[in-house]
Amino acid sequence: MNPEPFLQLDRLIHEKGRLAIMSMLAASPELTFTELRDAAGMTDGNLTTHIRTLQQEGYVSVAKSYQNNRPLTTCSLTAAGRKAFAEYINLLEQIVRQHKPQ
Amino acid sequence: METKWAEENLQAIRMLMERSALYRRALAPIMLFAGMLGAVAAAAGLFFHLDSMRAFGVLWLGTAAIVVAGAFLIARRQAIKDKENFWSAPTRRVGQALLPPLFAGMFLGLIFAFVGLANSAILTFIWLLFYGCALHSAGFFMSRGMRWFGGIFVGMACALLCFVAVAPPNVEISAHWFMGFFFGVLHLAYGAYLYLTEKKNPVA
Repeated sequence: MNPEPFLQLDRLIHEKGRLAIMSMLAASPELTFTELRDAAGMTDGNLTTHIRTLQQEGYVSVAKSYQNNRPLTTCSLTAAGRKAFAEYINLLEQIVRQHKPQ
Repeated sequence: METKWAEENLQAIRMLMERSALYRRALAPIMLFAGMLGAVAAAAGLFFHLDSMRAFGVLWLGTAAIVVAGAFLIARRQAIKDKENFWSAPTRRVGQALLPPLFAGMFLGLIFAFVGLANSAILTFIWLLFYGCALHSAGFFMSRGMRWFGGIFVGMACALLCFVAVAPPNVEISAHWFMGFFFGVLHLAYGAYLYLTEKKNPVA
């Protein structure tokens, strides 16, 4: 058994909450803070913390604007985030393939 | 142990992605197919002088039915090829958005064509309007400018109605030209745009 793929997994994405955020953002051009919070079932504080961590790593970009005079926060994956997520998926698939009976 | 965990993680990721996904399946081939059939139908209508309301209605409703069936097959083939579930959440949402305006357009088309309530230019206006509304609604669950494309149809429908209203009575343009341009040329142009930009834009 090759332990390499498991060791290479990006620890930042690996966390359950952040993985959920990355997965949802990977499927859409952008999502609002509310959409993310509702879909992921997180509290505002929890989501803010995770997004800040991902933003600091350069995986997620956050844009603030106004809609109907209300502040609107939208999040999207950066190119680096998309790449890191794709690599993470590849490694997971590699782990699954490695252990599948031939 | 690791395998089970990795498989579970992959499954959870897929589920989350589906939940927030936009419809992106085979848009370019469907648009090109619709445009090609639209152009062929317009050419057939002009060549065979299918100018009566009934012939006009039958030709274009028949073409629409073939386009819907073809689009279904193209999307299904891609789903099978990609080993995906055809009736996915985004597909369901797009279907639900398209259905009411398309049904209304078809119903009015049947009534207008077989009862002869108006002329073919007015019927073209109605079809453009409902089709534009259908695309605009579905565009909320799609990207790549689908909402804009729907908006163009609505705008063109209004422009066509204005043209019909102000055109001098001696100006007679077969409605097949309008249908051919809107349902043929515009679809081909949009399909070509999607096709050429598909690989550059991963979020389809």
